[in-house]
Amino acid sequence: MSKMLEVSNLKKYFKTPSGMLHAVDDVSFDIEKGQTLGVVGESGCGKSTLGRTIMRLHAPTSGRVIFDGKESGSFKESAAEIKEHHKNMQMIFQDPYSSLNPRMSVSEIIAEPLINYHMYKNKEELWRQVYELMDTVGLARRLANAYPHELDGGRRQRIGVARALAVNPKFIVCDEPVSALDVSIQAQILNLMQDLQQQRSLTYMFITHNMSVVKHISDEIIVMYLGTVVECASSDDIFKDRLHPYTKALLDAIPVAEINNNRKERTLLKGEISSPINPKPGCRFAVRCPYAEEKCYNFTPELREVLPHHRVTCHYAEKINHLSVNHRED
Amino acid sequence: MDNKILDIKNLSITYEADGAIVKAVNDISFSLEKGDALGIVGETGAGKTTTALAIMQLLPNINSKIAGGEIKYEGIDVITMSEEKKREYRGNKISMIFQDPMTALNPIFTVGEQIAEVIRLHNTVTEKEASKRAENMLEMVGIPKNRYYDYPHQFSGGMKQRVIIAIALACTPSLLIADEPTTALDVTIQAQVLALIEGLRKENNTSLILITHDLGVIAETCEKAAIMYAGEIVEIGTTEQIFNNTRHPYTEGLFGSIPNINKKVHRLTPIPGLAPDPADLPDGCKFAPRCKYKCEECERGNIPAFLVEEGHFVKCLRCRDNQEV
Amino acid sequence: MKDNNIPLKKKSQFKDIVKRFLKDKVAVLSLIFIVFLVFCALFPNVVAPYEYDKYDMAHAFSPVSFEHFFGTDNYGRDIFSRVVYGARISLGIGLVAVISSCFVGIILGAIAGYYSDRIDNIIMRLMDIMLAIPSILLMMAIVTALGNSTLNLTIAIAVSNVPGYARIVRASVMTEKGKEYIEAAKSVGSSDFKIIMRHILPNCMAPIIVQATMSIATSILSIAALSFVGLGITPPTPEWGSMLNDAQSFMRDHYHVVLFPGLMIMLTVFAFNLLGDGLRDALDPKLKN
Repeated sequence: MSKMLEVSNLKKYFKTPSGMLHAVDDVSFDIEKGQTLGVVGESGCGKSTLGRTIMRLHAPTSGRVIFDGKESGSFKESAAEIKEHHKNMQMIFQDPYSSLNPRMSVSEIIAEPLINYHMYKNKEELWRQVYELMDTVGLARRLANAYPHELDGGRRQRIGVARALAVNPKFIVCDEPVSALDVSIQAQILNLMQDLQQQRSLTYMFITHNMSVVKHISDEIIVMYLGTVVECASSDDIFKDRLHPYTKALLDAIPVAEINNNRKERTLLKGEISSPINPKPGCRFAVRCPYAEEKCYNFTPELREVLPHHRVTCHYAEKINHLSVNHRED
Repeated sequence: MDNKILDIKNLSITYEADGAIVKAVNDISFSLEKGDALGIVGETGAGKTTTALAIMQLLPNINSKIAGGEIKYEGIDVITMSEEKKREYRGNKISMIFQDPMTALNPIFTVGEQIAEVIRLHNTVTEKEASKRAENMLEMVGIPKNRYYDYPHQFSGGMKQRVIIAIALACTPSLLIADEPTTALDVTIQAQVLALIEGLRKENNTSLILITHDLGVIAETCEKAAIMYAGEIVEIGTTEQIFNNTRHPYTEGLFGSIPNINKKVHRLTPIPGLAPDPADLPDGCKFAPRCKYKCEECERGNIPAFLVEEGHFVKCLRCRDNQEV
Repeated sequence: MKDNNIPLKKKSQFKDIVKRFLKDKVAVLSLIFIVFLVFCALFPNVVAPYEYDKYDMAHAFSPVSFEHFFGTDNYGRDIFSRVVYGARISLGIGLVAVISSCFVGIILGAIAGYYSDRIDNIIMRLMDIMLAIPSILLMMAIVTALGNSTLNLTIAIAVSNVPGYARIVRASVMTEKGKEYIEAAKSVGSSDFKIIMRHILPNCMAPIIVQATMSIATSILSIAALSFVGLGITPPTPEWGSMLNDAQSFMRDHYHVVLFPGLMIMLTVFAFNLLGDGLRDALDPKLKN
């Protein structure tokens, strides 16, 4: 299998009045073709910025991104180059209410990418393509002239999916596509996205804060905390081993829709996420970490492989998880 | 011995919008015992918040009205109460926590002042005493009291929600209604806030109505659960009954729609279609158009609730072998 | 597919807009009134019974009658005719000034709001400087510098209105710019120009229309003020503002000399405001029903 996306040491800093905001700080990962990478974390962890940086809606501060074998070197591409980039990479946005222009009808929204990339010969062909896209995402054709505000959240999100599919991309960044939807509708959209992935052999980067959704849809998962990747492994391994203390806490905190008589005792995380502005060296999770030791406050941990194909950013991953040292493959 | 703190019978609420009558809540009944926690689950537009506002007697007068039924709080009908009594009842007896902690606090007053104000509104206490009690409330919800003079914008979302909880509990109400109290919060913060509500509830023996769309939250915090769909309670029972002996197809559909973290399912089984327009509800069972078990009878007349086991009521004809209520 | 035979055609938005506009009775009424005013401005000789400069000292200050609908002024000129002729100046200059300042203001505001801090800074500081000068002084300076003519008066009023538009447009562009659908438009390959024209500006219409209708009123009053200090319209050319000014000293004894020009200004401003509101609602697809 070959790689769709290889990201190494990607950084995105924002200048703010109170200092440099390290939204994405030295993030590396890759995604295999046809797979789904889940990116989880809480608000402010930089997951959305990461998606937007890869999408090149933000220019990265530094790092390397190789997309489909092509390296985007200086990150100083012209508008035309970025437009070309978007032909293969699209995005589905979080909020089906604000991601659609309220003054454009459904067909206009879906037709926009086709018009921008001149993907039609005549009006009829354009309309045929719009209708086909509407069929693909399960929108009734009679809604072509409707406006977004007349539709419910699920249908709006289908419009967003259709717009992303219009240019026939290989890779789609999905930024919390189901978070704003009711559960029954959420399941419909998730199923749609899985079907589309199979039919069109799409690669997804699925950004969400919902652990159950990410587990359901992803092959690989990265967990982010304050701009850094704290754990990176296959979906099953993360949920089974949960090597990083933050991942443990995150998984513990999820309310599970199950009743069993022995309600689990969970370790509640103390405190709240700190500010990503001018972070000090050391592990960013240390202040909230129940296992933190002096080293954690002074040395920034590296992302390293602790179990096969399971990487963690923690100095004491082995100790915390009682792993014998011979598991390590350095 | 009547331990019921809240007793709602056949409550119906209608809204008027653009000449159309919207049936937001249709003939719901439930009761709550002292110290109990009831979770109300449902999707957008199911009538959860309307029900809560009716209990609080905070429905907007202009376009909504209680079309029938009664709400009894400790045996007293709250619908017919005088305005003055209602004000006393809100805050002192019942408090509500709203969904969005970002907008529920007034940005130009310090959080301490806002808590103290509620205390002074409902009690005859001196200013000093009120601020003393406000300080205690802050500590109770886990905020150091030296933050009394901080403004809401200096707090994070989770901290704001703590302040709101402090305000809601300032007059030690016996019933707390929490409308999606953690929806806007991150999971780790949600866990903190839920633990806080749980702890305070146990400590003061407060009853709780928790409105949410998250079945997981219900499973972890409530003893009883009610599932609402299109303004009706389609299933109500203890949390264990609802989760382990699911009877209503809609409840079943909800469980099929959420990915379970402990199980690997390849494909979710969503409920097909959309919730009905509350201005144009179908005849018979409201869920019938989306239901895979529907039969002809489902689309006719009123579907009664059936008692499937002690305390477990289901509004579905599939349960008609059981006693009708 | 059962609805396969839906015609491959876009429903015309224009029809929808007209339909929504016609629902607003007050706005339609305002439009009729404005159309009538425009007709007066274009063909005053058809509507007016007299020449605007026909002196008739014998009938000075005639009250309202069938001969003189609005009475006559201190020179015995028919006020109705003068009001009709005055529409040409007041409405003409007002509309042209508002439209051109709106146009320039939108361009400047959109560029300032959409692009980087530096361009924004340059444009907006320039606007601030213009705002810092009292607008009447600014207009006087422009008319004096360019020379006294109707065109120059229009230019002066237009220039002094530009900063107001630029500020409002910039503010709403900046709010819209942050919304997700702009990011979405960027990611489907829309150019900056298209994003501004197709996505941002249509969503900024409401405040622009409100500002435009309000500035028609201030423009009419500005013409009057400039005429008063002798820059602008020279007598005997009628113009509502200067008619008001001239009549000031007789107001105590002859109400009609101020009432009618004043009423016209008021009604015109009112009609434009209502028309603006109606237009704003008609252009918003969210208010379909």
